Amino acid sequence: MAEPIIQVEALSKLYALGKVGTGSFRQDIKRWWLSSVLKKNDPFFSETGAADDSHIWALHDVSFDVKEGEVFGIIGSNGAGKSTLLKILSGIINPTRGIVRGRGRINSLLEIGTGFNDELSGRENIYLNGYFLGMQRREIKKKFDEIVAFSGVEQFIDTPVKRYSSGMYMRLAFAVAAHLEPDILIVDEVLAVGDADFQKKCLGKMQEVSSRQGRTILYVSHNMQSVISLCHRAMHLQKGKMIDIGTSLKVVNAYMSRHQQKRYRQSWDDINHSPGNNFIRVNFVELIPHLKNADDPVDIRTPITIRFKFWNLIEGQNICVGLHLFTQSRECIFDVSSTPQEFRKGLAEGQVDIPGNFLNDGSYYFSLIFVKDTSVELFYLEDCLSLEVEDYRENMNWFGKWSGHVRPKFPFRVRQLAHAKEAVPGS
Amino acid sequence: METIFDLSQTTSSKKSWAWEIKPESFWWKGQFLQLWSYRHLLLRLVRRDFLIHHQQTLLGPLWIVFQPVIVLIIYVLIFEKAVGLSTDGLPPSLFYLSGIILWTLFAECFTGTSFTFIQNGSLFGKVYFPRLIMPLSVMLVNFIRFGIQFLIFFVMLLVVDPRQVIDHPLRWFSAMIFSTVVVASFGLGMGLIFSILTAKYRDLVNVIHLIVRLLMFATPIIYPLSIVDPAFRLWVSLNPMCPVVEFFRFGFMGQGTFTGVQLLYSAGSTLLLVLAGSLLFNKFGNRLQDVI
Repeated sequence: MAEPIIQVEALSKLYALGKVGTGSFRQDIKRWWLSSVLKKNDPFFSETGAADDSHIWALHDVSFDVKEGEVFGIIGSNGAGKSTLLKILSGIINPTRGIVRGRGRINSLLEIGTGFNDELSGRENIYLNGYFLGMQRREIKKKFDEIVAFSGVEQFIDTPVKRYSSGMYMRLAFAVAAHLEPDILIVDEVLAVGDADFQKKCLGKMQEVSSRQGRTILYVSHNMQSVISLCHRAMHLQKGKMIDIGTSLKVVNAYMSRHQQKRYRQSWDDINHSPGNNFIRVNFVELIPHLKNADDPVDIRTPITIRFKFWNLIEGQNICVGLHLFTQSRECIFDVSSTPQEFRKGLAEGQVDIPGNFLNDGSYYFSLIFVKDTSVELFYLEDCLSLEVEDYRENMNWFGKWSGHVRPKFPFRVRQLAHAKEAVPGS
Repeated sequence: METIFDLSQTTSSKKSWAWEIKPESFWWKGQFLQLWSYRHLLLRLVRRDFLIHHQQTLLGPLWIVFQPVIVLIIYVLIFEKAVGLSTDGLPPSLFYLSGIILWTLFAECFTGTSFTFIQNGSLFGKVYFPRLIMPLSVMLVNFIRFGIQFLIFFVMLLVVDPRQVIDHPLRWFSAMIFSTVVVASFGLGMGLIFSILTAKYRDLVNVIHLIVRLLMFATPIIYPLSIVDPAFRLWVSLNPMCPVVEFFRFGFMGQGTFTGVQLLYSAGSTLLLVLAGSLLFNKFGNRLQDVI
């Protein structure tokens, strides 16, 4: 078993809220008077935590180990304390309490292109950025050509970077970062910028760094797919507290099923208060994802069944029910309907099966429409169900957004026809 | 079971940790020791400053020379011709120019470093390096600028009164080294302390320019100390830069009002100021990151 290379113990960080500035001098004096002169407990650090509502624990009692050669993911929603944790680990800010122990050279990439100056040439910026990131002169000199080649801006290396396109700028910035050789690399959401191609390059490089060079990486991302495929283990932070730690797959799945925007069931037992009108009333609507494991998130492979029940209030009404599926941006993906048929007064039920490998990842909303005689709208139950479909990729090295609203798995075959040596017309 | 085993192992191998991050910040530990390994960053920053300032400009580095020369012309016109202020019997142009370049060195070191945290807030928030590198690079840049301006002064002196330079090589050389180091360090020391204060209390930004302006009148830049009423002279000499400027003029032109004790006082107080400034800077540098 590999030795831990970083050990974080009971790490906490307290931040003052509200405006800093006016009155802060008086507050500082008061605090100094109380804690240093009168030797009372500092009023800002009560043992119970953020009892004072003018302060917030950005991190509260977080402990974990990262082992040598491990890629460790940190996930959590905005404001969970991820960046605070990375800043403490990088030595940029001090914790309020707790301790971090470690070994080896640590480099952090909280942003790419730190210290870049627009007026300077690409060459100057490589050096400046490299030094800011803690590289040594011989290191940069040795890798200079490699960095330039990786960035693909050879021709413009002596042009001020303000004349670069944003893509070139980013590639150059990442190229410097990619050639760092720390023992521990801290990466914060570098992939949030750039196009799919750029992201692919970044991830590929990170994979190479961790697997081939055996470096330890701490990686923060909102891209769950990349966390699963890059990281061995992961940690979930929520409001400054660590609520989950373990293998990345387990942690990410738990995180996603906790955070999915979903409404799987709505039911109204009282006919008088259920949605509808004098013709029709809805009893319940339900969405059932067919998962192997109840805790798994719904992903693009998951088949779904929609079930609903309604009360028909008019004897012998000819009804046809339609199911509409919308994307988050209110585009309709499909509109399927039942065969029209006559119903007697009373309860009726229906079911629609949506196969797996059909929807792309994203948020979706279902609406139900009840139509009389295939032409008159009786009732429209808008957005009664919603679900979030997660991405799933197998044997894939690309993590950009898959395009399209649907992602069907049609039979797709490509085969070799003739060997090039035998027949290439016109050669 | 496994976690218990793990813990006992880490406590036993505690000594193998290479570094620790703790809530406390240190007066001298940490950053000071790392300065050397970041020396190339320091030099790059100096280079950056020159490149940025003189790229896409009409006259480029010539501005370093023009500025003091233009100020000199105005000083000579106003203080010498119009007001008729004494210059201690020294050639007015050399008298004023020596004051101007020394004062520029101090003022630029002071104002250039006193906004370190405000100007570099986002950079400091993104990457770790010894923060002292920033003010040190500012001081270095201004040293180089001073060097160029000094050449003008030196050439003028050679034209006007070459005997001073040829006859007393040790005198002018020691005066140059001593005075410039004290003046620049005094600026740096003040700047370091003010950089912490301005980060915390933004309104102090206004105070800095005021200090520079007022302090100039308390320093014999446009007047010689000899015309100051002897009753006030002691008070004026409390300003560590006062004897230093006089010493500089004495070194090059043989005329100045100062004593050895005063020079020692200047050097000692400046050393204390720089020491206090850099210790405070080191201690509070990281803590300020929460405030900016």
